[in-house]
Amino acid sequence: MSDFSIIGKPIAMVDAAGKTTGAGKYTDDLSVAGMLYGKILHSPHPHARIVRVDTSRAAKLPGVVAVVTGKDAPNPYGILPVGHDERAMALDKVRYVGDNVACVAAETEFIAEQALELIDVEYEVLPAYFDPEESMKAQSDFIHDNKPQNIEKDYHHVFGDPDKAFTEADYVAEARFIAQEVTHAAMEPHSTLASFEIDSQTGKPGRLTVWSSTQVPYYLQHKLSLVLEMPMSQIRVIKPLVGGGFGGKSEVIPLEIIAAVAARAAQKPVKITYTREEVFLAHRGRPRTIVDLKTGVKNDGSITAVKARVIQDGGAYCSYGVVTILYSGALLGALYDIPNIQYDGYRVLTNKPVCGAMRGHGTVNVRFAFESQLDEIALQLKMDSAEIRRRNLLKAPCITVNGLRVQSYGLPECIAQVVTRSQWNERKGKLPKSRGLGIACSHYVSGAANSIIRSDMPHSTVNIKIDRDGGIVVYTGASDIGQGSDTMVAQIAAEVLGCSMARVKVIAADTDLTPIDIGSYSSRVTFMNGNATLRAAQDVKKQIATAAARKMDCTLDDLIFRDDVVVNKRAPVAATPANGSQPTVVHAEASVSGRVEGQILRGSLQQKRKDEGPKARLSFEEAVVAAIDFHGALSGTGSYAPPPEARGGKHKGAGVGPSPAYSYSAQVAEVSVDEETGEVTVHKVWASHDCGRALNPTSVEGQIIGSVWMGMGQALTEEMVWKDGLLMNPGLLEYRSPSSVESPVVEAIIVESVDPEGPFGAKEASEGSLAATIPAIANAIYDAVGIRLRESPFTPERVLSALRAKKKQKHINLTEGVDPTAPTTFREHGGSLCFKGKGPERHALDPARREAQVATGGAD
Amino acid sequence: MKKELIELRVNGRTYELAIESSKLLLDVLRQDLDLTGSKRGCDESSCGACTVLVDGIPMLSCALLAASCEGQEITTVEGVSEHGSLAAIQKAYGDWGGSQCGFCTPGFMMTVKHLIAENDEPTDADIRAALSGNLCRCTGYEQMYQAIKSAIDAERRGSGVAQ
Amino acid sequence: MSLPEFKLLRPRTVREAVDLLAQHSGNVRVLAGGTDLVPSMRQKLFEPQYVVDIRHISVLNGISPLRDGAVEIGALTSLTAIERSPYLRQHYSVLSEAAGTVASPVLRNMGTIGGNICLDTRCLWYNQSLQWRKSCGFCIKKDGDLCHVAPGGTKCWAAFSGDTPPALLCLNADIEIVSAAAIRRVALGEFYTGDGVAYRKLQSGELVTRVFLPAASADYRGVYRKLRVRGSIDYPLAGVAVVLKRANGHIADARVALTAVNPAPLLVTGATAALLGNVLDEALAEAVGDMAAKTAKPLTTSALTPEYRREMIRVFTKRALLAAAN
Repeated sequence: MSDFSIIGKPIAMVDAAGKTTGAGKYTDDLSVAGMLYGKILHSPHPHARIVRVDTSRAAKLPGVVAVVTGKDAPNPYGILPVGHDERAMALDKVRYVGDNVACVAAETEFIAEQALELIDVEYEVLPAYFDPEESMKAQSDFIHDNKPQNIEKDYHHVFGDPDKAFTEADYVAEARFIAQEVTHAAMEPHSTLASFEIDSQTGKPGRLTVWSSTQVPYYLQHKLSLVLEMPMSQIRVIKPLVGGGFGGKSEVIPLEIIAAVAARAAQKPVKITYTREEVFLAHRGRPRTIVDLKTGVKNDGSITAVKARVIQDGGAYCSYGVVTILYSGALLGALYDIPNIQYDGYRVLTNKPVCGAMRGHGTVNVRFAFESQLDEIALQLKMDSAEIRRRNLLKAPCITVNGLRVQSYGLPECIAQVVTRSQWNERKGKLPKSRGLGIACSHYVSGAANSIIRSDMPHSTVNIKIDRDGGIVVYTGASDIGQGSDTMVAQIAAEVLGCSMARVKVIAADTDLTPIDIGSYSSRVTFMNGNATLRAAQDVKKQIATAAARKMDCTLDDLIFRDDVVVNKRAPVAATPANGSQPTVVHAEASVSGRVEGQILRGSLQQKRKDEGPKARLSFEEAVVAAIDFHGALSGTGSYAPPPEARGGKHKGAGVGPSPAYSYSAQVAEVSVDEETGEVTVHKVWASHDCGRALNPTSVEGQIIGSVWMGMGQALTEEMVWKDGLLMNPGLLEYRSPSSVESPVVEAIIVESVDPEGPFGAKEASEGSLAATIPAIANAIYDAVGIRLRESPFTPERVLSALRAKKKQKHINLTEGVDPTAPTTFREHGGSLCFKGKGPERHALDPARREAQVATGGAD
Repeated sequence: MKKELIELRVNGRTYELAIESSKLLLDVLRQDLDLTGSKRGCDESSCGACTVLVDGIPMLSCALLAASCEGQEITTVEGVSEHGSLAAIQKAYGDWGGSQCGFCTPGFMMTVKHLIAENDEPTDADIRAALSGNLCRCTGYEQMYQAIKSAIDAERRGSGVAQ
Repeated sequence: MSLPEFKLLRPRTVREAVDLLAQHSGNVRVLAGGTDLVPSMRQKLFEPQYVVDIRHISVLNGISPLRDGAVEIGALTSLTAIERSPYLRQHYSVLSEAAGTVASPVLRNMGTIGGNICLDTRCLWYNQSLQWRKSCGFCIKKDGDLCHVAPGGTKCWAAFSGDTPPALLCLNADIEIVSAAAIRRVALGEFYTGDGVAYRKLQSGELVTRVFLPAASADYRGVYRKLRVRGSIDYPLAGVAVVLKRANGHIADARVALTAVNPAPLLVTGATAALLGNVLDEALAEAVGDMAAKTAKPLTTSALTPEYRREMIRVFTKRALLAAAN
């Protein structure tokens, strides 16, 4: 590790000062001359046919410039090629409360909001489906006509011979687990500013520039092109600072398309920023998931087979759904050695906001079930729950039964670390009453080996430009959403080129300037964009080295780039070898010469140098100047595409799950439970994460802590609560993202397995730790008070209800107030919040609602 | 609605503004003064991203009307850095990873500035309690605690040197 | 979500304020801390033409111990000031403790004691945006005629969710109410109606100006316990305030009050009688907990199920009593 001068060092993010001073600009902070404010009209019905939309009254309101509806941009789109089922705004049907119906562009936000009240929409209300298992029974009124039974997609995978393996097992556990729906709740509400410029040749609106809070500028450019019927080359997408994504900005969000459609109609720039409620309706979060899980083991703890049936409540459109349901199955593999797997996955449509990708995409809820069940099994076998995990380790490098290639595998070390640091062996089972320890593991991909849009295109490309000033400009399509990718790119470039971070400027995520990168999702950026940066830097370094070697009369192999100097390590006069014993002196020299070099003395200095004969060392600027003089220009490029060996098997759906490398995590959680109230306190989480190599330990630790913390939110407090398709808690007051007081101490432990293909050995760090936290807490609760919680979040009432059931004390009714005629599965939604009301079938026929709608529709 | 002329003191500067008296302080800061550091993270005054200091006390600019603040001294995140350089707490948030996406950071800067001014030896519990009105979705808050402690140390060392 | 347009009026004296309230009666709201009113206006729960901003009536800000041992608290005194006041912490600790649990530090800097007393009742079907409320056909508290929490009924069950009123009820607090015509002083217990819509007896044109804590309520042991999912920010999902005084190990006086489980904060009737003259033990605390649970009528207005919240009233009452007796 000491071989590096930049890599592995805790470096402040390159954009940190902009964030701490308020100078950094996020999309909503931008405004351009003549800009209008856009406001979207959303459906009040979960499922309805649009009979008529009349925007004439709204259009007449002074200050309103344009009103657009679905007819203004009818082309379908979707993030997946198989899921082009969304439109800018609804054409014929609305499919969830919050679906997009129309948009007003007006001079002020206030006027735009007023105008929304003047849009008359006549709906024909249809029966709506809110529960996936109910939805699958539908005989008519399908949410999408081409999806019978409202099943978006189902997959049925069998690897090995699970049936036989279950008969050979000594013990089989089987149970249903439910994880309620959660959402990203990134602090920045989505925002998009769209502006057309007048074309000089035609005098008409030509090129479109879109500033947007996105994790995927390239996909946005692509979808805008589809919907607006404009060539991609005429569309420029710029990503300003983004205030968190977590997957919520990893596909094209309705406002991004709508802003452009409205700007085209208004012939003025239009900015739309979601209200917090709209953020919840745009959603794309982690679906409510029902996992029926069966695990067979031998008496020695080794797993013989796993069978999982997974149903995901996907909401009204496809989004990433097909990928989510595939990840849920594929990532049963690659953590432990499981020889036989059966997987049945159903992605189901319901009349609710759309689920998509969220941190730990696809793996989290199944991992909760799996790690909980493994804990139950360990108990049955009277085996330590850390030990049962050690008994099932993969023997890497290997290819799993479902075709995933595992090369670096730090899981054993991860487990060892958390066991030691938490004093697991010493303390487990010996804590005071109602206090317990739980362990769980998880893993995640470092980017998908197969991109969403099938092509041979590299997943990342990076360009580097160096000019005579010695300044390095890296052009990367990577989207920094707060995870620090700009810093990562700068570090890699500086390390390879042996120069200081101050030299490196990163231009990122602007489709006019930066080469294609498919986006910040699936934890792909460090691995893929990092590798592309590495290659681009090596490319340009080689060019500098060629020129420097000529000048220094040595071979390329003799040269060392470090601390802003290029040194011939074989030259006898090399007084400052590459161990950096006088780095500050060298640096000062370099910057002085840099300043001189850029100015009028350049020519005479070069002349002087020529006269001096071969040198033992060159400053970075001297080397750069030599290279530019020699090559005529200095730029480098690099790209990355995952190797064919990493791209997985041949079965249907095999494309999702394979990754060039997997990260690993093990966690121990320490909790206490108040047995009278059911309140759970997480005191501490020890979280080890194998990230291959920590390029920036501060960032890696921040990602681990953030993942664990977000997992804790899902485990204890966060839950989207529905009633008849209406989200009861669409805000940060009632959707409870944890505050600082109840957040635990997280000890992040970095494990470095040094992946053979990762940049400097690095793998992902931002997602893999999340999934282990939920089962680690569940297992710790079991250890504390002996109750097995199979439904998340573990709210105090669920915990108390389970405690009372165990002690045979007074029952806590979790479905109080729910209509007894409603189907039982619907009542399960209850949990934290149950509302007196009608079951889903009766929703559309409810006369009270009908009348209320007529009354409000007629008012105004 | 008719606009009114009000005088607003922000970051030590006096602004004369013609605004509707029903306008939120947050909107006036962001739209009329282009001080976009204060962020809107929610619509129900619960996330803390818009926190500013009013006469030195942290308050939510999304629950205050600009006209109501006439005569009071408002400090936004743009008024935190000192003589064009980062204040200790700003530097420390960068160094220790207290800020990831940065959207909540301006609100935290104001809260922490007030915390440190009030209590130069806060315990862990003091810090957690003080930060509990600002939500962050990235960091899990942990690295902020280190940043705050290191900023307090840096300020102490700084003032020691000055003496 | 933008605010409705209104004219902001900024009186400097109570007289000016009540005159303005009388002048614009029926079309005006009072703005103090803003933490309740401003978000509600953004949700179009209120669309007044006039807003009377009383923030700068300095005479209403402050905690003044009176000569007889009573205390007068101006309605604009911030919850932070009440939480931190050494005098209140020493003599009326239950109030400081309750004030310290309100929302979050930044909201306590803004929120006032008067505002916490006048806090609008809350319900998940009510505290939502205009767009959201349209989707459910509105509710009985605002723009509709149907209660989603208790369908068929004609009463609104929105829960009173202030933290300090149960503490004030325990302390037998009075409040001063001023109008252009008169000044009146009422016991806080008389202020609330128990109905979710017209939840307080405040006539149009009236302003709550002061809170009085009687000398007789000083120096009780007091405890406030609050059910919330997060350790900060959240409104109470159930709250219990307890005060008690002992003589020779026996309870000489005690009161128990609840919040967030009814449309009004309520004293638990019978609790005082049950406790008086007895030695507090676990069994007695539990018995009073049962009484409190019977007083609580939580419905599905809030997060967590009604039955659980009622159970917590029972547990928290028991715990608060035992803690206060300790």
